[in-house]
Amino acid sequence: MPKAEKETLAAQLQPGGGVERWAERHLRFLMLAPTVLILLGLTIFPSFYMFYAAVHKISPNPDLPWEFVGPDNFARLLSDTQFHVALWNTTVFTVVAVTTEFLLGLGLALLLDKFIRRLTFLKTVLMIPMMLPPVAVAITWKIIYEPQFGVLNEIMFRLGLPLQAWAGDVNLAMFSIIVADVWQWTPFIFLLMLAGLASLPVEPYEAAALDGASSWRQFWDLTLPFLKPVIAIALLLRVMDALRLFDLVFILTGGGPADRTKVLSLYIYQVAYRFADPGYAAAISLFVLFVTIVLSTWFMKRMRLAE
Amino acid sequence: MVHKLFLVLAAAASALAINGVAWADFTVLVPSSSEGDGLRAAADDYSKMKGTKVEIVQAPYANVFEQGANAGATKSGVFDIILMDDPWIPFFAENGHLEDLTAFYKGAGMEGPDNDFLSKSLAICRNPYNTGPYVCLPYVGNAQMFFYDAAKYKEAGVDAPKTWDDVLKASQTLTKDGGGRYFGYVFRGGQGNPVVADFMPIFWSYGANMFNEDRTKVTIDTPEGAAAMKTFMALRDVSPKGIESYNANEVGTALAAGAAASSINWPNWVATFEDPSQSKMVGKISYSPIPAGTKPGSSEIGHWTMGIMSASKNKQEAFDFMVWATSAEQIKISATRGNPPVRASVFTDPELTSQEQFRHYPVLMEAIQASTPRPRHPKWPEIENAFGIELSKAVAGTITAEEALKSAQAAVEQITGLK
Repeated sequence: MPKAEKETLAAQLQPGGGVERWAERHLRFLMLAPTVLILLGLTIFPSFYMFYAAVHKISPNPDLPWEFVGPDNFARLLSDTQFHVALWNTTVFTVVAVTTEFLLGLGLALLLDKFIRRLTFLKTVLMIPMMLPPVAVAITWKIIYEPQFGVLNEIMFRLGLPLQAWAGDVNLAMFSIIVADVWQWTPFIFLLMLAGLASLPVEPYEAAALDGASSWRQFWDLTLPFLKPVIAIALLLRVMDALRLFDLVFILTGGGPADRTKVLSLYIYQVAYRFADPGYAAAISLFVLFVTIVLSTWFMKRMRLAE
Repeated sequence: MVHKLFLVLAAAASALAINGVAWADFTVLVPSSSEGDGLRAAADDYSKMKGTKVEIVQAPYANVFEQGANAGATKSGVFDIILMDDPWIPFFAENGHLEDLTAFYKGAGMEGPDNDFLSKSLAICRNPYNTGPYVCLPYVGNAQMFFYDAAKYKEAGVDAPKTWDDVLKASQTLTKDGGGRYFGYVFRGGQGNPVVADFMPIFWSYGANMFNEDRTKVTIDTPEGAAAMKTFMALRDVSPKGIESYNANEVGTALAAGAAASSINWPNWVATFEDPSQSKMVGKISYSPIPAGTKPGSSEIGHWTMGIMSASKNKQEAFDFMVWATSAEQIKISATRGNPPVRASVFTDPELTSQEQFRHYPVLMEAIQASTPRPRHPKWPEIENAFGIELSKAVAGTITAEEALKSAQAAVEQITGLK
């Protein structure tokens, strides 16, 4: 290497030299690079790949090329009755389950707020359902609901009540799934509400009491508005989770009877893996993603959290 | 020093992870059931005998299909052999996931599988059915039989049920006398594969079929189909409440616990019914071929078969193992492990047939020889799902039997593109 070049390189490598200056100038990009790369790899790339798959017909035969079909897979959503059934069932499940969980969770939190701080044991017991893996919950409820030997029908029999096919009856199957979900996730809402209640300021309540406001008035005008951010987060998380319901349905009913419990996640799974049509499965997944994003944005705006 | 040791261990672990199951000479994907357990035990014996390392990957029933399909579609070569349920064969074969075995047989100086295999067992391993090249070998000889409590049937005035009318007659009496706690009949009414599997033998026994002979027309909604549905609905009415969600376990448990008198079932349940630790009905269950409708009864064949994945890198090793595992000697050992055989010599082996636990073998062999395969179509999983939804609706009573047939006809026409 000529002497002049050696000197230039040495100068650049010196503290305050070219390389160091370059690194300093681009430090923020360098610091961000790992995060951006991870984000690209784990979120952006799969999302684009899913979109790419959704506009193709993908044969299970690896020797056949992917056939570009444009918006055909999305158009199929309009005429696919199984998709419509799954969409309706998912909506019913989400609305009923999340509303019930919210009302029960908030009610329990209000009821036990004063006492629970001393009853650590009770708090731990209430947390158990949400700590269990969903598969374990589903199997437990399958045993409870078993029509011939299940504990629920045994109780019904001893009480002289008619036995029910809890997960097998078209009119009870969705209800049975909602009960299992409510059992598992009400504690989650309860704990969030409890944390929210614990952080409420005391002064407004003292002032309201001096003004003669009733307990109901205090709840309506103070507690609920103060809890609004916590309620928003709790509902948002539960709605997003409910839209992805899979385990309970897969194990308890398999989507039956008569398609009454077929939900979107189960249908996506069937289309992708049982019917070997990943292109269409990707289109349905994108639809669910779109709905989730729209719902979350609308909801956050409504709850004035967006800003 | 410790640092270096950790680095070496991490590098070794990474190499193993990257190579996947490369430490095995070949890998077999099997279901996590008695069929898979049997092949796992056979693989252990093979490893000890030949010094070959065989990796067995077990997965639940539906996951075996999914993992196999995924491995085939991606040509990953992660599995060398797949133990398949026979209705999956057209999907795997026609999408190029399975190896044609002709060349391997030629290489071994053989024409093909020997004549000791039951002809129906071999027919399903050819694609197209019974005419094409072999793409797998039969391992577990499942075919449905009719299971019934002979004493209860006798009480109800039926000595040995020969027809579905006999079954209905006995079941109606037994259910009526059971007071909501005992039932004459039980079946898998769960949506999808379960309800279809338990309906097809009834469908066939009334002369109905899903397609016409040259597969140019869907023939579900026919007078024969309607007759089969009428019987199926009558059987539903004498079955336990909640039948709409019943799968194999619920049916098996109902029979083993003495809560139901009869059902269509698979032979691998015999071991459970004859095991005092699991059954109240030891020695009390009788086995017969599928009852007749307006035509002779026909079982649904449900063999487990071994095929070599096209992307396998160890095809010869895989073929050698398959030939060894399906030899008469190994099939006999497999039978003692609870898996029904596929060879005539094992079905008639006096050493086995003299034992109480194998008393159903003559009936099972007859059932296999009189069996019908599920319609061989590469889109069978989708067809089965659509048909299963309509049957489930009929069983649940949300639509009539006639509506179910009409809707099923339309759905299958749409899936197959046939009219």
